[in-house]
Amino acid sequence: MTKKIVIPGELVTEERKRLGDHVFVRDGKIYSDVLGLVEEDPKIASVVPLEGTYKPKLNDIIIGVIVSETFSGFMTDINSFYNSFLSKEKVNEPLRPGSIISAKIVRVNEVNEADLDDVRVFYGGEIISLSPVKVPRVIGKNGSMLEVLKKGTNTNFIVGRNGRIWAKGGNMELLAQAIEKIAREAHQSNLTNKITEFLAQQRNVLMNNNAK
Amino acid sequence: MTTKEEKEKKKEKEEKKTYVNKKGLRLDGRTIDQLREIKIMAGVLPRANGSAYIEWGQNKILASVHGPREAIPRHTANPYKAIVRFDYRMATFSVPERKNPKPGRRDIEISKVCGEALEKAIFLEQYPNTAIDVWVEVLDSNAGSRVASLTAAAVAVADAGIPMRDLISSVAVGRIDGTIVLDLNKDEEDAPDAVDMPLGILPNTKEIVLLQMDGLMKKEEFDKAFELGIQGCMQVYQKQIEALKKKYSLEENIVKGEQNE
Repeated sequence: MTKKIVIPGELVTEERKRLGDHVFVRDGKIYSDVLGLVEEDPKIASVVPLEGTYKPKLNDIIIGVIVSETFSGFMTDINSFYNSFLSKEKVNEPLRPGSIISAKIVRVNEVNEADLDDVRVFYGGEIISLSPVKVPRVIGKNGSMLEVLKKGTNTNFIVGRNGRIWAKGGNMELLAQAIEKIAREAHQSNLTNKITEFLAQQRNVLMNNNAK
Repeated sequence: MTTKEEKEKKKEKEEKKTYVNKKGLRLDGRTIDQLREIKIMAGVLPRANGSAYIEWGQNKILASVHGPREAIPRHTANPYKAIVRFDYRMATFSVPERKNPKPGRRDIEISKVCGEALEKAIFLEQYPNTAIDVWVEVLDSNAGSRVASLTAAAVAVADAGIPMRDLISSVAVGRIDGTIVLDLNKDEEDAPDAVDMPLGILPNTKEIVLLQMDGLMKKEEFDKAFELGIQGCMQVYQKQIEALKKKYSLEENIVKGEQNE
């Protein structure tokens, strides 16, 4: 099946379908409101954006960075429209600006402000950033891409739905390269195999260099 | 020759400039309905949410978009919709005489009209209480910088993934030496009786989102200029589509795979 790339204002379909994400109606026809790929579905017209800010969703796991401390909590940057407030009651360990945490989104209001819970603090490691809309590709169907990345780099990493990946140990540089490759080719098919090959190639190069 | 005589001779020479010759060609060889060469690239600034770079004739302009993000200062936030903060600036080296970096009345005017144009295209109600910052920097200017800025800004907003009902395509049309022409360059804009009319539309509905004029025109001249302007905008629209789709055009066949979990 071919997926069509559309820009804002471009026609998606003239058929009378149900309205899904990122479409709007004008004069009885359905148009896209973002730069994205048209979902193939006979009943629903929707577009998957190729770019965009992270919109917090209930129960998503995200990676946050502490920005500042207030009397009762911490302002946390979750790479979205607003920073999230994290109450001190939810966190036992001392946090300071720059601390990295993973958390679950437990509440989202009408203006897309999010509340966090289930906080885990990370020490050391690095954050790899990518566009939030590409995160599903990094996870893959049933976590298939995650497996490939874990086996191929030996790195311990957590993927946040907000487009942040915390990684520690193993070959972090190779992981960053692989993530970049996934982000660039996210709209193409057969990505899991391509990444498996890429990681194997890079490991061979490394082994050959070490052997010299 | 005394200085007075020299000056008179120079004035005579200038008055004899033919902006459109008998073959219908302008000073730079274009026909009256021909645009200057336009190149647009989307996604050129990795740290911005969206960005675009445009070369339009000699103009070189960079547009960046940040947001939607929290509107600070809070009193500027609108609880019903996002606000657009369009900032048009010219680099000091973008014009022959050093441009003072402090925004002047012209910069503030352009920022206002371009920001208001974008507000008509973006679905602002989807992001209440936020601000969308659109920053445009003109690196090299040669007439038509406001229409090029708006054109680039629209591409940058789309590149940021901000929902819009349409892109905005914009072009300047005008009258020089009695003839209606499309896309004036600096020499033409400076002509003695030149009237410059920047026009911006939503290409799919032809709805006008920017329209200004800096002189007097008869109604027939205006109607002709407006028609020519719409045609010009549609040509610009093609360039914008190209720029946005180019990033993803490597593989046209995409199979439903890991994208849907």
